[in-house]
Amino acid sequence: MICAGIDAGSRTIKVVLLDAGNSRVLASGIADQGIEQNDLALGLLGRLLDEQGLRRGDLRRVVATGYGRKLIDAADERITEITCHGRGVRHLLPETRSVVDIGGQDSKILRLNGDGNVADFVMNDRCAAGTGRFLEVVATRLGVRLSLLGELASRSRRPAAISSMCVVFAETEIIGLLASGTSPEDIAAGVQRAIASRVASMAGASLATPIAFTGGVALVPGMDRALESALGKPVAIAPDPQTTGALGAALLAAQRRPESR
Amino acid sequence: MNDERGGRGELKAIGYYHALVPPEWIAAHGLRPRWIAPRSLGARSRVGTSRGVCPYAGACVDAALDGAASAGVVMTTTCDQMRYAAALVEQEGRVPCFLLNVPSTWRTAEARGLYREEVERLGRFLVRRGGTAPTPAGLARVMLEYDRARSALLADRERLAARQFAESLRNVGSADAAERWDRAEGCRRQATRVAGAPEGEERIALALVGGPFVAQDRAMLDRIERAGGRIVLNAADGGERTMPAPFDRARLEADPLGELTRAYFDSIPHVFRRPNDGLYAWLGRKLAEREVRGIVFRRYVWCDLWHAELDRLRRWSPVPVLDLDVADDDRSAGARATGRIEAFLETLRRAGRPAESRFSGETGKRIEPIGERPR
Amino acid sequence: MNRPARRITLEAWGRRYDELCAAGLCEPDYGGPLARHVDDGDLRLCKLAMDDSAAALRLWNFLLTEDDRLRRARAGGARIVGTMKDLGTVPVMAYSLDDVVAFYPDGAWWIPCVMERTAGLLEIADSLGIDDSFCPVRAMLGAFVNEAHFPIPDLLTCSVGATCDDLSAIAQRLEALGHPVVWWEIPHRRRPDAGEDAVRLPGRFVAPRRQVDFVRRQLEGVAAALADLAGQSLDDERLAAGIRRANRVRRLLDELRQLAFTAAACPLPALEMLIAEMLAIHFCSDPNESIAVLEALLGEVRRRVAAGVGILPAEAVRVFWVNPVADLRVMNLLEDAGGRVCGTEYLFCHALDPIPDDLAPMEALAQMALADPMVGSPADRASRICADARRFGAEAVVISRIPGASHCAMEGAVLGAAVRQRLGIPVVEIEVPPISDAVEPALRTRLEALIETAKDHGSR
Repeated sequence: MICAGIDAGSRTIKVVLLDAGNSRVLASGIADQGIEQNDLALGLLGRLLDEQGLRRGDLRRVVATGYGRKLIDAADERITEITCHGRGVRHLLPETRSVVDIGGQDSKILRLNGDGNVADFVMNDRCAAGTGRFLEVVATRLGVRLSLLGELASRSRRPAAISSMCVVFAETEIIGLLASGTSPEDIAAGVQRAIASRVASMAGASLATPIAFTGGVALVPGMDRALESALGKPVAIAPDPQTTGALGAALLAAQRRPESR
Repeated sequence: MNDERGGRGELKAIGYYHALVPPEWIAAHGLRPRWIAPRSLGARSRVGTSRGVCPYAGACVDAALDGAASAGVVMTTTCDQMRYAAALVEQEGRVPCFLLNVPSTWRTAEARGLYREEVERLGRFLVRRGGTAPTPAGLARVMLEYDRARSALLADRERLAARQFAESLRNVGSADAAERWDRAEGCRRQATRVAGAPEGEERIALALVGGPFVAQDRAMLDRIERAGGRIVLNAADGGERTMPAPFDRARLEADPLGELTRAYFDSIPHVFRRPNDGLYAWLGRKLAEREVRGIVFRRYVWCDLWHAELDRLRRWSPVPVLDLDVADDDRSAGARATGRIEAFLETLRRAGRPAESRFSGETGKRIEPIGERPR
Repeated sequence: MNRPARRITLEAWGRRYDELCAAGLCEPDYGGPLARHVDDGDLRLCKLAMDDSAAALRLWNFLLTEDDRLRRARAGGARIVGTMKDLGTVPVMAYSLDDVVAFYPDGAWWIPCVMERTAGLLEIADSLGIDDSFCPVRAMLGAFVNEAHFPIPDLLTCSVGATCDDLSAIAQRLEALGHPVVWWEIPHRRRPDAGEDAVRLPGRFVAPRRQVDFVRRQLEGVAAALADLAGQSLDDERLAAGIRRANRVRRLLDELRQLAFTAAACPLPALEMLIAEMLAIHFCSDPNESIAVLEALLGEVRRRVAAGVGILPAEAVRVFWVNPVADLRVMNLLEDAGGRVCGTEYLFCHALDPIPDDLAPMEALAQMALADPMVGSPADRASRICADARRFGAEAVVISRIPGASHCAMEGAVLGAAVRQRLGIPVVEIEVPPISDAVEPALRTRLEALIETAKDHGSR
């Protein structure tokens, strides 16, 4: 039995195909988001099925998650990304008790109970500070690719203090720092620290370990260390951190029996 | 245009914004109390969307200056933002404004005495605005009418949708004698529930905790109930938490103003009180009584008093707490709030119903941090 | 001695210290080279420009050794009182008792600046849910948690009511963490109604008699708590003595301000003037030494004024400064931009006015507390600011917003409008975070633009 999870996020669409019999991931893919979310999601789903020699009729159940989940026609069920991320991380790292997910436009922290279900969560989806968007702004200002920002930050000797709550004002700060001679390395490290600080502030009371780090920002080198420093706890980057939501959705799809549709 | 315009007796209407302003007192002076739910004007606000300005306080300034109540407005010192909002209204000089000094300390006879003196001083303001000082018997009669109307509403709380209940409470606080009972009765007759939970899903008992709302944000109550939550306790400003205690008949007869003071000042738990452990004691009792499974904590960004309680509330509460932080300049707030609410309800459904209520009524003073001591 | 006065860096202070020692510098036991404070973590000193006088050296050493004084007091058996949000009243009462030391926990708001955020106080506040949407005084919460900056007081008092939501919320959080607080109420100061008994307060405001009586009773409650802590009676005689000593500090400060702000050439930098003014609130935990420090500063300023020696160019634009800054560096920035501070309102101007000594002590203290500019309307505060700005010949006004402070959001507009309307001089509003390095270009631009505007304004 094949199930699919579609995570229609704000920046990218992720799809995971799952063999429900043994919970093995058959394929996964990521595409940029756009206006025609449904078409983009179905297009990506179709490509993955083709690559596996499968057809749409082979799918037993599809669960959609993410901001755009309500626009995905093919979905049999829609579940929020909170539940799906929790489920996905539990599958990949069963001992996890806390999840820190930092995406392009939002960040969230999930607390998992002993059964691996989400017991509580906090979200920042209102303010770009503390999200991948902040890193993108900085990378642009520093004239480096986002993928190289982490390496730049690793050469910092003294991370700059970024004080603004708002990423728009922080951009002004970065210009000011560059003008005053602060090195790009220190700025990059300062921004990583600011994001990690913002997330730690969201976390409030200490997080239970083990802590898993998911979302696209987990792929930026050094962000895990910045997070560890801010939280004072070790942090493990989940395998394929961008697709944990889609994986969770596929697993939840597999949990439902066909007649419960 | 503010939605509080129109209606009878507009020339003699006195607007107010906080539950610690007793409408009975205004009504007993022969004036029409109007509990204003200000509308956010966004970029058109006189206060604007300046960084740091609470949207509710800004909306109160706009409402007052738009003539929400032409005979005058009563504002309170319950937070900095409202205190400074009153200063802005006074500065404009277009509408008479009375700033009711509500003490933050509350466990002393001194503080109660100050509140009572302030209510008496408000009375003198009301007389200057065209009212007539009531006799003790007259005041007592009006107080009993309000008491009856509130009791009737409370008795029907479970039949009413959360938004309807909240609006009915506001209506009771915004009516003259003839209307009060009618409104309560009318509300009861028309009681409806918002469309229920998604098919096959149970409705989750929730508490709403937090500060006041601008008018547009009342839609959030419907959003929560449409998503499958059931607000069994509205502990936000303007909800059940900020209702005065029922009046004691004997004390009412002996000293109606004293009883008014007791029912309002002594009895309404609030975040600005110092100390505010009374808020947690009240919450603990009510949350246990109503078997609440989750708390929706709603606040405006820049509301320091409520924001400062969020972490403490999370540590204290044995049920999950959803933070809904709202900024006034936030056009996508509705959609994001819906997303968070849906995720929250999903989480609670999957967790299942607890075997027994875990609220013990512990006050804030004995909160112990969950997990490690902060670094 | 007509030695030119200068602002110098910490590095230059090393050489200057050697010069002073060679010339026979006499220091109190807390004296020494400023560089040692950097070794203790006060990194911001490396970025500040400081006055080069022996008096300034004593002032800085006094400020930066308060923690040591408090710990020695604790070790010596003194009782320690933390007087939160109270700008100048309860410390006067506390210091009227023997073996009681009062300090101002709110002062921790400068630790993130002085230690350049290495102390981790703001991060601790973050972890308790008090993030950067609150005023930097949230660092106080961090200081109570890690106990690294002052000993935990034996008694904590906090004024609430018409004060400040940030501090009130943070103090409440502190209580919830297990630190009992003696709360006392200060009502919103209003104008007396027609026919109501009125009292003219120090500093020109007027309040109803019943409000003064209320505050007096509140302070009597605090006095009882202090007396209970100390095991002594806090009678009128003791209080009167405490008031006299506080007034010595206030009179010295008043003379210092008059001289420094009105001198043709600015004799003392804004940074040292700011620190000196703060002594009026809490005496840096030693009232007697505060007097000595201020006498030394005043002596230096008198000498410079008499000799016509200034620290800044003669053409520096006279600027009235409103609200304290979270980053001390910004006081240097104004002077670098071509301005000089000619008057101030740091939210505690009532603590600079002499406490009436012809009234019963508690009545005097109650009037003083009610004269707090924050306790009344912003219009009242604006009145005093305009009067003082006019008195000191200000050519421009800076209103410094404290990031996250609940009163600043609406108050700045009221104050700015009043200044423009009544004085007709340029006003700029700036926001200063605890470390302003990243926004320094923006701040500098605003200050320089203000200076240029004032010069072109025609008031010269």
